[in-house]
Amino acid sequence: MASTAPTRKAMTGKAVTRAPRDTAHEGFLGHRRGRWAKVAGTISIVALLAYLLTDATPRPNGGTWLGYTLGSIGAGMIVWLSLLGVRKRVIGSKPFSLKGWTSAHVYLGLSLIVIGTLHTGFQLGWNVHTLAWALMMIVILSGLWGISLYATLPEKLSANRGEVTQQQMLEAVRTLDRQLDLAAQPLGADDAALVRMSLEECRIAGSLGQRLSGNYHRDGNARALAAIGDKVMAAMRSGRADERLQQIQFLLERKEAALAQARRHIAMKARLELWLYVHVPVTIALLAALFAHVLSVFLYW
Amino acid sequence: MSFIIRQLTKRADGGDIIRTRTLVQAEISIGRGTDCDVQLPDLAVMLRHARLVRIAATRVSIETTGGVPVEVAGKFVTRADLDVADAPAVDIGPFRLSLSAGEDGAVAITAERVIPPIDTADATQEVSIFSLAGAMPTRRRLAWAGALVVLIGLLLLPLAHFIGEGRAALPQSMVAEAARPTTPGQAFGDGRLGVPAARPAVAGGFAPDEVWSSGPLSNAHASLSNNCGACHTQAFVSVTDSACQACHTKSALPDHAAPARLASGRQPETGVMAAAHGAFNLPQGRCTSCHKEHEGEATVMTVAQQFCTDCHAGLKGRLPDTAVADVPGWARHPDFRATLVATPSLTRPVLARTALAGARERSGLIYPHDIHQSATNAVANMARKQGMTLASDGSLPCAACHVPDADQQRFKPIDMEANCGDCHDLAFAREAGPGGGTLRTLPHGKPAQVAGIIRDFYLSQALAPRAGVQRIAFDRRPPGRLAEVEAQQLRLASIGDAQGRARAAVAGIFTGRGLCTDCHVVTDTGSADITRRFAIAPVSLNDHYLPQGRFPHGKHKSHDGKTGDAACLACHTGITRSKAATDVNIPGVANCRQCHGAPAKALLARTAKAGDSCDTCHGYHDGVAPAGAVPAGHGGGQRTAARLAAAPARPRSAGFGS
Repeated sequence: MASTAPTRKAMTGKAVTRAPRDTAHEGFLGHRRGRWAKVAGTISIVALLAYLLTDATPRPNGGTWLGYTLGSIGAGMIVWLSLLGVRKRVIGSKPFSLKGWTSAHVYLGLSLIVIGTLHTGFQLGWNVHTLAWALMMIVILSGLWGISLYATLPEKLSANRGEVTQQQMLEAVRTLDRQLDLAAQPLGADDAALVRMSLEECRIAGSLGQRLSGNYHRDGNARALAAIGDKVMAAMRSGRADERLQQIQFLLERKEAALAQARRHIAMKARLELWLYVHVPVTIALLAALFAHVLSVFLYW
Repeated sequence: MSFIIRQLTKRADGGDIIRTRTLVQAEISIGRGTDCDVQLPDLAVMLRHARLVRIAATRVSIETTGGVPVEVAGKFVTRADLDVADAPAVDIGPFRLSLSAGEDGAVAITAERVIPPIDTADATQEVSIFSLAGAMPTRRRLAWAGALVVLIGLLLLPLAHFIGEGRAALPQSMVAEAARPTTPGQAFGDGRLGVPAARPAVAGGFAPDEVWSSGPLSNAHASLSNNCGACHTQAFVSVTDSACQACHTKSALPDHAAPARLASGRQPETGVMAAAHGAFNLPQGRCTSCHKEHEGEATVMTVAQQFCTDCHAGLKGRLPDTAVADVPGWARHPDFRATLVATPSLTRPVLARTALAGARERSGLIYPHDIHQSATNAVANMARKQGMTLASDGSLPCAACHVPDADQQRFKPIDMEANCGDCHDLAFAREAGPGGGTLRTLPHGKPAQVAGIIRDFYLSQALAPRAGVQRIAFDRRPPGRLAEVEAQQLRLASIGDAQGRARAAVAGIFTGRGLCTDCHVVTDTGSADITRRFAIAPVSLNDHYLPQGRFPHGKHKSHDGKTGDAACLACHTGITRSKAATDVNIPGVANCRQCHGAPAKALLARTAKAGDSCDTCHGYHDGVAPAGAVPAGHGGGQRTAARLAAAPARPRSAGFGS
């Protein structure tokens, strides 16, 4: 496209030509003006028409000629699609760019919804065959989920992060921890225990559930802040403001803010990664189920 | 009385910084507070945590002051006496105080942080915090786990079961049931071959290879659902006919035609399908070519019409000598060719398949349907007087003669005494006596006996007349009024005269109007023997006009909103105008198409009003058409032959005349 621009300019005489490729980012979704989207769309429509125009006996399923055809195509596609994991580790191989490969992976993967489901003829049950279909659907839908995340999250991630690196986020928390440690040295045992709660029982990331939900109110720092806050308020009401505790409260609040930023970052990164924790292992399970599916069909032929 | 205090601090590069102080006092304080002799700067340590008191030359006592215990030799204590010679260690929070004997009888205390502070984070922590690696097992581990679960549970376990099982045992009850021949007509659209109730799987519980099932078995085979090896006998070999025939024996389900003729009549496969079926060892014409299992409760019997038309659409091209017409499909099903009686015979009637248009049947019987269907004529009057059940318009109902058979398929054979005898009564004399006297009746179907009985009656009455005997005349008369001949009229002067009158009486019965000749063709042979003189033409009544198909009359009792006789007449339209028994009132295929295959009247309905698949009327497993027993072209199949053989008392020609 970029290479043809000068000649096209010469031929059409237009004053403005399309920007060369290296100045305008072209994502894998729009690779070569959606070439693979068109290919996948065509495959899906052909499969659908074949399904609708075929009078299968006694009912459509994987055992008709169309079923075997769609099944063979689908199995081949599954194997090829799973090879993206291999392809992406081979840097700069030709002739297909990784971007083109990814584009094909996404669109052909989506067309597999049509091919795989028509292969079943909507005859589903509790067996290895439907398991393979279900795993395939989980893989495709998780991929779709991943694409939607990739389309929206990086921008938010960047906005949340500002100019701060992950290491700097951790450093900010650590610095506050050191300050808290120092500021707490003169405190009595009860107050020191609260500060220790913040220092020792605070997990920046926490469990998967915490990462995804962003709910850290049971975390050490949040509990310490709440308790110290109560103490500061009690002291102020009694007219004996405790400056050391106020200092601790201030530091805990700053730590909570630093944690919040880091945790928003973590939450978004968790979502960016989580789909792959579904997509990749389920793909491997799918390959196993596909093997069992095909072998069992021919074994009990 | 002095203490040497050494405080060790780790440098960033890993080296130690040692600060040493000597305190000359009997007691030192230990705590986080800056005023303590041994300051331990960690929040786990109390401001004033403990004090160490020298109680002897080599003995010290440690005692907590803030209520938080210290750890001595693995135990948490609030007070402990220690012998310095033992080089005891005291743990307070993350610090360890190691005591030893120092120079000049001093007690040396080395304070060292043994648990690093929490904020010694490094780059690996960044990964575990900011990526899911810190919260989940690795993707590789998850992938292995998932793949192994699938491979073991859904491949290896079923495989081990299949290999270990060997040849599966067949449930004896199922084998016995399958081997029993089905009764004729059972396989047709009469609703009697409904979907059987699903039988539970036989004992043995869940079999691991059930997970390989592509769908639920049909109800008939449901009890094999945990017995895959019953049908799938060999790995990588499609279910063979022998597996089916282990239960469904050939005697129960005979061949459709001779295997060689079936093979040559079949449309040969070509192209990709032939290549695919060849490559995957799926020869044509197997049981499973038509009967697809694992398709749900009813589907093993659901055979596509296409399987029939694949062969029958162009059968004549492949089997030139076949008597079967080509049938490309229901819409182009050729019109019926009724099997009609061509030559009636008491023993071997000749039947012939004839096109319906202009067909005449030679049953040998004289029977005008029209006068028997009238609501106003003498027949109706007679039926009413006899107290018969009449149709709503007062005519004789069809069912008066055509009585449905047990399975409501067709009708019981017409029987003269049962169906005609109410009106066409053969009583010829009444003899007075107690209880209304004795009625003498002529035997139907035995003309020689009839002649003999009449002759003997006349002769005996002439020689020894009995009082109160009345001869009943058969001459046509107003219905219900018997013309009777007084006994004295029978009394005769001489024996010769009596013989003459007897002969005349026999001739009158066989040739006169009103008895035999109403229904039969009688020939006068001129024989001197009066019992042999009159011959009655044989009658063969057809009991199955379309024996290649099955028409369950019981399912058609109401037709297009009509019931009773109107439903019969909806198809057998010409019957009320039929003046002769040679008329063939069998409706053509167009009549069936009014419902079968016709779209239902409901809006947007896609289903037909009634089924139009081949098996609505035809059976496949009826066996090969027998040669000889019925004329060529009348292939009722083994089942028909078996039915005929099973009912020798009622051959195809019902016995009228002898």
